[in-house]
Amino acid sequence: MAKQSRVFASALALTLSISALAGCSSGGGNNNGNASQSPSGSASAPASSVASAAKDTITALLPPVSATYQDNFEQMAKDFNALYPNLTLKIEPASWEDMTQKLDTQVNAGSPPDIAFIPSASVSKYVQQGVLMDITDAATPEMVGDFETAPLEYMKNGTGLYGFPAYMEIHALGGNKQFLEEAGIDWKSVQKNGWTYDEFREAIKKGVVKDGNKTTRYGFVFANAGVASKDYLGILVKNAGMPSAFTKDLKYAYTSKNYLEVLKDVRQLIDDGSMPKELSSIDAGKRWNMFLTGQTMITGKGLATFENSANKNNEKLKANDGSAVEGSIPVDYIVLPVPSFLGQPAVSSPAVDGYVTFRGKKEPTPEHKANVVKAAYFLASGKVAAMTNNELFVAHITKSGKEAAASMTVNRNPDNAAAVEVLLSHAAPARPDIPPELGAKAIKLEDEVIVPKFQALLANEIKPEEMYEAVKSAAIKEFGQDGVVTD
Amino acid sequence: MAQLARTIKRRLLHGDAAWAYAFIAIALLVYAMFTAYPVVSAFMISFQEYKPLGSTYVGFENYVNSFGDSLFWKSIRNTIVYTLLTVPVSLLLSFAVAILILPFKKRLQTAFKAVYYLPAVASGVAMSVVWLWIYDPLPSGLMNRLLDVFGIGNQNWLGSSATAMFSLVLMAWLSSHGTSIIIYLAALLGIDNSYYEAADLDGASFFQKLWHVVVPFLRPTTLFLLVTGVIGSFQVFQNAYLMTGGGPDNATTMVGLLIFNNAFKYFEYGEAAAQSLVLALIIAVISYFQFRFLGKDVEY
Amino acid sequence: MALYKQHSGRKIAPYVRNAAIAVVLLVFAVATLFPIYFMIISSFGDPVEAGAANYTLWPKKISFESYLFFFDFSKYSYRWLLNSLVVAGSVMITNVVLASLAGYAFSKIRFRGRNVLFSLLLSAMMIPYQVTQVPLYILIVNVFHIENTYSALILPGIVTVYNIFLAKQFIGSIPTEIIESAKVEGCSQLQIFTRIIVPLSKTVLAVMAILTFVDSWNTFFWPFLVTNTMEMQTIQVGLKNFRFANTTYFAPMMAGAAISAIPMFVLFFSLQKYFLEGVTVGAVKG
Repeated sequence: MAKQSRVFASALALTLSISALAGCSSGGGNNNGNASQSPSGSASAPASSVASAAKDTITALLPPVSATYQDNFEQMAKDFNALYPNLTLKIEPASWEDMTQKLDTQVNAGSPPDIAFIPSASVSKYVQQGVLMDITDAATPEMVGDFETAPLEYMKNGTGLYGFPAYMEIHALGGNKQFLEEAGIDWKSVQKNGWTYDEFREAIKKGVVKDGNKTTRYGFVFANAGVASKDYLGILVKNAGMPSAFTKDLKYAYTSKNYLEVLKDVRQLIDDGSMPKELSSIDAGKRWNMFLTGQTMITGKGLATFENSANKNNEKLKANDGSAVEGSIPVDYIVLPVPSFLGQPAVSSPAVDGYVTFRGKKEPTPEHKANVVKAAYFLASGKVAAMTNNELFVAHITKSGKEAAASMTVNRNPDNAAAVEVLLSHAAPARPDIPPELGAKAIKLEDEVIVPKFQALLANEIKPEEMYEAVKSAAIKEFGQDGVVTD
Repeated sequence: MAQLARTIKRRLLHGDAAWAYAFIAIALLVYAMFTAYPVVSAFMISFQEYKPLGSTYVGFENYVNSFGDSLFWKSIRNTIVYTLLTVPVSLLLSFAVAILILPFKKRLQTAFKAVYYLPAVASGVAMSVVWLWIYDPLPSGLMNRLLDVFGIGNQNWLGSSATAMFSLVLMAWLSSHGTSIIIYLAALLGIDNSYYEAADLDGASFFQKLWHVVVPFLRPTTLFLLVTGVIGSFQVFQNAYLMTGGGPDNATTMVGLLIFNNAFKYFEYGEAAAQSLVLALIIAVISYFQFRFLGKDVEY
Repeated sequence: MALYKQHSGRKIAPYVRNAAIAVVLLVFAVATLFPIYFMIISSFGDPVEAGAANYTLWPKKISFESYLFFFDFSKYSYRWLLNSLVVAGSVMITNVVLASLAGYAFSKIRFRGRNVLFSLLLSAMMIPYQVTQVPLYILIVNVFHIENTYSALILPGIVTVYNIFLAKQFIGSIPTEIIESAKVEGCSQLQIFTRIIVPLSKTVLAVMAILTFVDSWNTFFWPFLVTNTMEMQTIQVGLKNFRFANTTYFAPMMAGAAISAIPMFVLFFSLQKYFLEGVTVGAVKG
C-alpha cells in the first residue's frame, strides 16, 4: 500500500513541478531535477482492527438469481446480522455472465469468497482445484434435514457436501395453448404421460403454418446460438438412455449408437421444416420473441418463470398501452415434457443451483466454517428461499421455505404446476460418484468437440455420422477404448 | 578548444542520460510492478500444473500439449486470417478517410471526425447486442433484408462456418477505424506546409505529393498503427466471445478465446500461460519485421 | 491544407471535387453510424426485456422512460458515473504526462539501454491480458490489499506502453536541430520538454488524452474484478447489472450506453481545437 501511494505521489509531484517551471535562459538544468525523488505522500495504511474471536465476516458472490433478488441484499444482510449479531454477511453483486469469470479469477488467485451461487454442475470443477470446503461435519442435522434429498445430492461430490441447493428447476419445453389445440394435440395427456419422438415429430409438423413458400410459424424453436446448443442436445440425450455423460460403471456414454440416432433426429426435425434452418444462430431472446409473436408453437428450453413472463405480456396487451412486445399475441404458456427416444424412459433435466462453500489458501478454522455454513443455510432456506423461488415459479425444496411461502400467493396455472411435479418425479439423479478428473475431461470434450460439431450439424454443414465419429474418436483418445460405451 | 568542446559534449550527454532515466523512471516502475511482474509470473506458471493452493512443476509439458493440440493450431490459423483481413484494410480505410477529410472547412472536418470516432466511444457490449441483431439469421434480420433487395438469399450469418468469420471481419471494418483515423489526422496536421510548397514548386501532382511527402512523413505513425493493430488483432477475444462463442465448428475460435477458455473454463492455467507465451513470440517476430521495414528513424 | 491543389482560377472544380469526396465520406459514415443510430433509437423504447424488444428501424414512439429507469434502477447510478469520471480522468492525466516524458526520452535522448528497455516495454504488450490478470489480481488484492479502492482501479493504468509508443513515434519526427539549438541556449532537458516538445506535440497529446479516457471509461473487466460493492463500481460494471438471468433490459441498457457515452463526447469536442490546429514546426523555428 505504502509503495503504491509513493508512486502515485511522485507522479503528482512531477506533474506539479512541470507546471511550475522557470524560464529557459538560466544556465543549469538543476531546477526540479529531483522531482521524482520527492518524498512520498502517505504513511502506512491504518492497522486493520483486531477482530475479536467471536466476530466474523462471511463474503458471498451472488448473481441476480431472480428479478428482485439483488434489491434485497441489504435486507438480507440485516436479517442475517439480526439472527447472528456477531456475524456480518458481505454480499458482492455480479451479473450472471460475468460472475463465473470473477469467481474463477479469485479462485486462481487463491482467495475466493466464502460462498458463491453457482450451478451444481460446476461443483466438480472446483473440487478438482481443491478450493471447495467440505461442510459435511459443520452442517447440523436440522439444516440437512430441511432439504429434499434429490437436490441436496447435487451439492455432493464423492463423499463431501459442498453447499446447499437453492432450487431444482426442470429444463422442459413451453407450448402455446391455442396453437397446440388448433393442431389437435392433447397437451393435458402429454403433460401427464409424456410423448415419444415420433409423436412429437408429427405434432410439430402440424404446428407449421406457411404463407406460400414462407414459413410464418414453426412447430418448434429451441435457442441454439453459441453454447446454448449444449442445453438442447443435453436434454434430448437424457431421454435416449443417457441420463449422464457417464454410465453407472463410469464409461463415457456418448459413444453409444443411441447418440447417433438422436443426432439424426435433430437433423430430421429441421429437414421436415418444423424447425428453422437458421436454428444454429437463434439465441434465447430471439426465440422468446418468436414465441410471444406467434412465430412458433413450442419453444425451448422452457423454464417455469416463462409462464410469469407470458402472463405479464398478456396483461400489457390487455392494457393496450403500447408497452407489450411489438406484434405479440396473448399466449397461454403450457409446460411440456421433452420427448423420449428409442423406447427409452423419459428422464427430465434438472438444473440445481445453489450456495457453494469455498475455502482460500489458509485452512479455515472450525468456527469460520460453522459461520459460513450458517450463512449458506440462511440464504438457501426460509424467507430468502421462499421469496426467490416464488419469483422464479420453481418448487420449494426446503420445509422452512415452504412454510415461509405459505402466506405468499402465486398466480400459476395448476396444470403446469402438476406437470412440473411429474417432471420432477423422473428427474435425472445426481452423480456424485463421477470423479472430478473424469468430469473435467467430459466438459472439455463437450466444449471443444461436441458443441462446435453440433453447431455445424445444425447449420447443415456436416452429417450426423460425421459428428458421431468425431465425438467417438475424441472420446476414445480421452478415455481409452475401454473407457467408452461400445454397443 | 576542440578538447574542451568534447568534454562539454560528454558532460552534456551524461546529463542528458540522467534526464532520460528520470523521464522514464515512473513509467518503468509502473511497468515493472504491474506488467513485468505478472508477465514473469505467467512465465513461471507456464512450466507448472497450476493449482490455486499449490502448484507443481511439470517442465515443458504445457508447451508439448499445446503444440500437439490441433485446436491450438486451428485457432492460430483463424487469428492470422482475421488479422490479415482486418488490419491492412482498416489501415488503408483510415488513411484514405483521413486524407479525404482534409479539403473541408474545419467545422465539417470536426463533424466527420466525430462521426467516425463515435463507434469507438460506445460500449462494446451494447454494440455487440446491436450487431447480433444486424446479423439476425431469419429473413427479418437487417442484413438479410439488405441482401434481399439485391435478390440474394437468406444467410445464416454467425451460424454458418462459411460466413461467421466474414461477419466478424465486416464488423471490424465498420467499427474499428475511429482511433486510427484521428491518429492519422494528428500526424497529417504535423506536416509543415513548406514541404507541400517545395513540392508545388517542382510541379508535383496530388498523387506525387501524397507519395513523396505524406507517405514518408506518416511512416512512424503507420508503424505504430500496424504494430499495435497486429498485437490487438492477435489478442482479439471479445467479439468472438460475445458473438459466436468460437463456433460454428470452431470456425471463429481465436487464440485469445482459447487461452481464455483454458485459463478459466477448464482451469488449465499453466497451459493458457504457455499458449500466451507462444502467441507473444509469434507477435514479437512479426513486430520485429515491421520495425525492420518501417522503423528507420525518420527525421527532417 | 496544401496537399490539395488550390484552384485559384476556376471556381467550380473544387466544389465538384469536394462534393464527390463528401458523398464517399457520407456513405462510409452511414455504415459506421448505423449501430450507434440503432443504439439511440432503441434507448427511446420502453423498458422491456430483450426477448420483448422491438427490432425496428424507425422509432414508433419516443419515450424517455428507459433513461428514468436507468437512474431509478439503482440508487448508485450517479455514483457509477462519478467513479468512472474519477478513474478515467486520473488515468488520462497521468498517461499524458508520463507517456510524453518517456516518449521524449525514448525518441530523442541517447542513453545506455534505450533500445533494450523499449523492446522490453513493447514485448509486454504482446502477452494477452487473460493470462496476466491473475498475477495482477494477486498483487492488488492479496499483496497490497487495496481492492475496492480508487487506487486499485487507477494504479495499473497510470501509464500504458501503447501511449509511450504513440508519443515516441510522434516526438521522434520533431527535428533534432530544434532541440540542439535549445540546448546551446542553455535549456535543461526538462525545459526543452516543457518549452518545445509539449507545445509541438499538442495534437498528439490531445489525441492521447481522448483515447486514454475513452479506453479507461469503457474498461469493464478490471473494475469488475477489483470492486466488490455497488458504490465502488464504474458505469460499465453497473450497466451490466441490467442483464438478468434469461433476459436483458434492452432499452435501458441502450440508454445507459448512451448516457455513458456523453462525457466522452464532451471531452472529444473540448479537445477538438487541438486536433484541428495542428502544430507546425516552422512556426517554432521562425
